[in-house]
Amino acid sequence: MKNLIGAGMLAGIFLLSACNGTPDPALPPSSNFTVTFKARYDGQPLEKYKNYGYGSYPVLFNRFNTYLSDITLLKGAEEIRISDIEWVDFTPDLAPNNLAVDVPITFKNVPDGDYTGIRIGYGVRPDLNAKRPNNFASTHPLSRENEYWLGWDSYIFTKVEGKADLDNSGAFATSLVYHCGSDAVYRTFSFNTPITVQQGATATVTFDLKKFLTINGTLFDLSIPGNQLTSNDVGNVVVATILMDNFGNATTVNQ
Amino acid sequence: MVPGLAVLGLALFSTCEKTDPPPAGPDNDDLTSIPYNPKPYTIVKPAHFPDIPVPSDNPLTVDGIQLGRRLFYDPILSADSTQACASCHLPQGSFTDNKAVSVGIDGIFGRRSSMSLLNIAYATNGLFWDGRSATLEDQALRPVEDPIEMHNTWANVVTKLKQHDSYPEYFRKAFGISSKKNITKELAAKAIAQFERILISSGSSKYDVYLQGDLDALDDDEKDGRSMFFDEGGPLGLPDAQCFHCHGGITLTGNQYFNNGLDSVAKLEDFKDKGRGDVSGNPYDFGKFRAPTLRNIALTGPYMHDGRFKTLNEVVAHYSQNGKGVINEDPFIRQVGKPILGSNPVQYSGLTPAQQQAVVKFLNTLTDTQFINNPDIRNPF
Repeated sequence: MKNLIGAGMLAGIFLLSACNGTPDPALPPSSNFTVTFKARYDGQPLEKYKNYGYGSYPVLFNRFNTYLSDITLLKGAEEIRISDIEWVDFTPDLAPNNLAVDVPITFKNVPDGDYTGIRIGYGVRPDLNAKRPNNFASTHPLSRENEYWLGWDSYIFTKVEGKADLDNSGAFATSLVYHCGSDAVYRTFSFNTPITVQQGATATVTFDLKKFLTINGTLFDLSIPGNQLTSNDVGNVVVATILMDNFGNATTVNQ
Repeated sequence: MVPGLAVLGLALFSTCEKTDPPPAGPDNDDLTSIPYNPKPYTIVKPAHFPDIPVPSDNPLTVDGIQLGRRLFYDPILSADSTQACASCHLPQGSFTDNKAVSVGIDGIFGRRSSMSLLNIAYATNGLFWDGRSATLEDQALRPVEDPIEMHNTWANVVTKLKQHDSYPEYFRKAFGISSKKNITKELAAKAIAQFERILISSGSSKYDVYLQGDLDALDDDEKDGRSMFFDEGGPLGLPDAQCFHCHGGITLTGNQYFNNGLDSVAKLEDFKDKGRGDVSGNPYDFGKFRAPTLRNIALTGPYMHDGRFKTLNEVVAHYSQNGKGVINEDPFIRQVGKPILGSNPVQYSGLTPAQQQAVVKFLNTLTDTQFINNPDIRNPF
């Protein structure tokens, strides 16, 4: 009986705290920290089906989405992982227009402080990539069946789809399909952008598709058939490797 | 003192909880004498299927599903009581009507084919061919007032339901309403949506048996078809059919919207049926439609949003022709088959007749007769 009474008291105290949201003074201060992910082409907001200059011919894009793993704030030797996995879709079907959407994600209870940078995993980190969509609840980013390819036993880390008009006929007869996946092409990149986390603080992470397709300062040659797609040959991840290696160069972090 | 604190704990618990409004006073429509004991319903799904999303504001209950099942099969929803949801979504057609386009109570032909409801619970990217409803609850409201479908009004339906001998009791048991007056179109739609969410594959198709480890469940042709479907045939010398990009995952659809290369138009505005574009107003959505599930596809013909293809052979032959070159056509449409060496821009070969046949054979392994024969989802009347 005494135990029951004690449990009731504890429940009362706990629930009182839960109802009024009083912070626990023993915990270091923390804040909700919102990072907005943005898609660009050559510095301009990405727009589906818009003709973009690409060397001597135009290209267009209709899809861009990506998984991001282990988003981690860095402070010297200290690391604060704020997310295990996110799926960022810049071109959802039901968007009201062709403009790529900005994707804000709020990370809760991030310790306040001045961080020296951020590290991002591009794709699905191997231990998570070893699982399958039916291992996850329907609201989990990794539950997305359409982002998984059994051929690799892997999530499709990044999808970039579009077309090129190589002969400038206006027909855009060349499909561009870059689906990058498998553990072999998972990459992490760190960015030395000072980030302060405090109440109301935000940051942006911007991915630029022109930079994504600019390898060592040169536009990826889309006139070469093998460069027009990531091979569906399970063992051939040559193009996917080139692009995922370059993803960091296509990324800008700002606060 | 101490017991008082314990009570305080309970009281605080109570303040954090939402409370229902007090019950309505007694009247002629009072239903409170009917017990309300909602029993949660757990959807039975194959182990290799993902979790089924269920909205928190419409949890599944045994009585909710039974009410929805009755409403689904009851022509009471239509103006002349001749047409039910099931008139266009029959179990034997995997919840299609096997017509090119559906016909409403006035004999008017619609412009689109009825979509299969198999595994519709997983469709969280819009419903109908054009995604005009975000939820099953919203979708269930639409056909009643559509002039080329049931051509009724919800006010009329609700009146009939309130006056019905049995439905008030069913609504009470499903939703705990205290009075016939509380019957609404929203509750009717919730019930229908609950029933639709249990329309889940049995997991007994040949393909499912294969997926669960019996590699002999598919013959060689079916395996070849599967490899091409999922773009896994490269090592075998087989071309990519590119099917899974739009029809991927365990339900064989990502419920995304595509121009799948059916029509050749000079400009996007020329699409006869603008599909998703009718909803969004975006010309680049013209001619795009939601990719349907391919599970039970052999039972759902004719095919495409307008039922233009009678057979799966015609469907696969269409995709083997690499589209029409319209600007918003999905990029994969061009890449069916193998790249033709020396072509510039690169052309793709499509599939040979034998390869097409193998893909069709694979599609036939998706047939799930246990699902369509499940007595729990068939007409209760």
